[in-house]
Amino acid sequence: MSKIRKIVGSTAMLTVAGLLVMNMAGTEVAKAAEDRAALVTINKNPYPSTYEPFPSTTTVIKNATVLTGTGAKLEGASVLMENGKIVGVGSDLVIPYGTEVIDGTGKWVTPGIIDVHSHLGVYASPGHKSLSDGNEATSPVTADVWAEHSVWPQDPGFSRAIAGGVTTIQILPGSANLIGGRSVTVKNVPSRTREGMKFPGAPYGLKMACGENPKRVYGKKGGPSTRMANMAGYRKAWIKAREYKAKWDKYTKDYNAGKDVKAPKQDLELDTLMGVLNGEILIHNHCYRADEMVDMINMAKEFNYKISAFHHAVESYKIADILAKENVCSAMWSDWWGFKLEAFDGVDENIPMVASAGACAIVHSDDGNGIQRLNQEAAKAWAAGRKVGLDFTEGEAFSWLTLNAAKALGIADKTGSLEPGKMADVVIWSGDPFSVYSLAEKVFIDGALLYDRADKNTYWQSDFELGQNVKGAHQ
Amino acid sequence: MRKSFLKILIIAAVALSVGGNLASAKILAIKGGIIHTLGKKGTLRNGVILIENGRIKRVGANISIPAGAEVIDATGKIVVPGFMHSGSYLGLSEISLTKDSNEHSAKKSPFSAAFDVRYGLKSNSVVVADNRRHGLTHAISQPSGSDGIFSGSGAVISLTSSPDMVFAKGPMIANPAKAGNRNLGWGKIRLILDQVIYYNDNHSRIMKGEGPGDFLLTSYNMDALVPVIKGRQKLVLMVDSVDDIRQAIALKKDYGLDVIISGAAEGWQVARELAAAKVPVLINPQTNLPSSFGALASSFHNAAKLAKAGVEFAISPGGMARNHNAFMVAQMAGLAVAHGLDWDRALRAITLNPARIFGIDKSFGSIEKGKIANIVLWDGDPLEVTSNVAHVIVGGKNYPLVSRRTLLRDRYLGLKNKPYAFH
Repeated sequence: MSKIRKIVGSTAMLTVAGLLVMNMAGTEVAKAAEDRAALVTINKNPYPSTYEPFPSTTTVIKNATVLTGTGAKLEGASVLMENGKIVGVGSDLVIPYGTEVIDGTGKWVTPGIIDVHSHLGVYASPGHKSLSDGNEATSPVTADVWAEHSVWPQDPGFSRAIAGGVTTIQILPGSANLIGGRSVTVKNVPSRTREGMKFPGAPYGLKMACGENPKRVYGKKGGPSTRMANMAGYRKAWIKAREYKAKWDKYTKDYNAGKDVKAPKQDLELDTLMGVLNGEILIHNHCYRADEMVDMINMAKEFNYKISAFHHAVESYKIADILAKENVCSAMWSDWWGFKLEAFDGVDENIPMVASAGACAIVHSDDGNGIQRLNQEAAKAWAAGRKVGLDFTEGEAFSWLTLNAAKALGIADKTGSLEPGKMADVVIWSGDPFSVYSLAEKVFIDGALLYDRADKNTYWQSDFELGQNVKGAHQ
Repeated sequence: MRKSFLKILIIAAVALSVGGNLASAKILAIKGGIIHTLGKKGTLRNGVILIENGRIKRVGANISIPAGAEVIDATGKIVVPGFMHSGSYLGLSEISLTKDSNEHSAKKSPFSAAFDVRYGLKSNSVVVADNRRHGLTHAISQPSGSDGIFSGSGAVISLTSSPDMVFAKGPMIANPAKAGNRNLGWGKIRLILDQVIYYNDNHSRIMKGEGPGDFLLTSYNMDALVPVIKGRQKLVLMVDSVDDIRQAIALKKDYGLDVIISGAAEGWQVARELAAAKVPVLINPQTNLPSSFGALASSFHNAAKLAKAGVEFAISPGGMARNHNAFMVAQMAGLAVAHGLDWDRALRAITLNPARIFGIDKSFGSIEKGKIANIVLWDGDPLEVTSNVAHVIVGGKNYPLVSRRTLLRDRYLGLKNKPYAFH
């Protein structure tokens, strides 16, 4: 009994090689089965989502222009939502009796926007030191920290983002560190707890950062102070992770072969890195320059893991063919450039150039203001591309905000497009969302109307703003 | 004197622009399209603009184009005055996080009010060139800060990419928050102004060592504030909160200053007071987060509500949009329209209004006879994010829509046709 290390989660009941692994209460069962300690496993989800969809009614939006998120544009189409799911998109749907009907004439309907790069909650408003929780800039490798443990659900920024049609957000640690910690993907819903926002079933991400930021932060704090030391820092971490994984794999294999073996010592930092090597945690890699991105791809091959997306990726247009071949997404701004040397080569056509090479292109914000108009940022990129002959349709370009983002987060089977069976994360726009004049009028998350521009009762107000600001006065 | 100097500069610029071939391309004509003059001629359909010696010579519906003029066909285009940013770092910063390409700060120096950005402007800035191709033609370039409340003087610049880019000295910039807290900020500003008045009135005595020796600022920083206390140089106060806006209004009244407020995130809450005090404001329409305790009531509706109350304002976004993306004034004007501002007022907020606010509307801000020919042709609504610039004319010169960024784009768009060097 004393030898049993209780790092098995209390909620998870995992069957491993036919052996029931249980928490303290259940260990007697295991002992009875064999005269040795129970198999030790690491609980991969100790802070599980408690999110539950808000109440919804069966709703159909009729006669709208619909961008499905998969690339299609449908005119005069309907979108039917039932029990929080999309059940039909098209012009000849069977509408159940009692369905709430919204006239979509003149309106545009899209999937909810997904921002794969946000620091809402970890760099909350007001921008105060007390709320600066995004960079654990005390050591260049902090794979042990999890962004969710910094997220402040009362950040007023969430209420601004919903009015911009944003329904899903990946919140990342900052980019001070080579390996900055885990990200968390949340549903953009009002919640008292972090767990109440967590996107059910979304995999964790791991933030890594190339280039200038780690150099700048650690250059006079023991390093890295060069790009070559950046690389050395990642590789040392992966070597440790590889050893750790080998230990755990061997332990599990030996145990399952009937041997009486002692479990390795748990290491919070290496748990996360091992999760990447096991393909369970997705790499989100802040990286500006083309040469560095290729290095990161080569390092991923060296250690046998996959990069889900490069973030900022200001030079992706230079290696779009390579990114397409390697199947790595780029999450980009439409036109930010020049704020540092590694951002000096940014071009307005980055996003369409990446897309036209067949690589996965995503529009991201990295900004509490920008997240509120991601549709406009996509529109700028789309227009810049058209000007040089990269002629995407609006339907295709909208996937930069939705389905491609969902793919990068590992949730494309759940959201990101208006397809039957997916979460009813839906936005009704006052007009063409590629116009600066259009606004999100209604936003549904899992079929629930969580924002209605015409109904003040739906406006969110964080505890922080209560008694200080008039509800909804910010818009 | 300044005027004649300017004239020479403009003539020089035009001479440069035509590469010495002065006779054949002396007049530039823009013909057709929809011309929003923002002047007495209103909006012209199929009108003509004649440009000579860098200035607008004629604008109207029935103007014949002289033989030999270079003609830009504006059919299907929207023609508007070039846009202005009212608080940029253009020409003062190439790459924000590099030490040797930033000239906007007086920090760690004895300069505060005496700092003047006119001497460190970079005429061939790639940032300036890129903003020009996006439709920005002139701007206030201003200091970012000093170790004191006063940051120094800005400059009115034209985006010409030539040594003639400075049009005039700009406003004095002050940031009361730099003092540490609001009492220190306003207390210090008032004390400094009192001391500058005293210093100016007793200058010769003080220079002889007969005055008090404990002024808050050094003599050369006080010298720089003399035009401010005389109301001859505009003072931009960077404040956001309702209370600070009221303090700024009081300062204007008490000292007879020519005050402009930059920021004014909570301005909509005191719009009537701003209008009554005739204090113009420079706002950032994307501000709607309670980003600080002085900007809790930031709102997308700021522009619309200021307009409704009759406050004169210009749209002048901050952050990335202060320099590399200063051209975002157009998108920000569009954003203000989406939140209740009239389109016409939004267009004025990035053209005529800032020119009026900074007292340069005799030369900038509208397409009218005698003004500097800063004119942009758009392929659609200029405030719309999907519109692109078709032609940019600055100081009468028709600039190619090329910047380092378009060259990079073109290099990599044609990658397949490139030799091995780029693979």
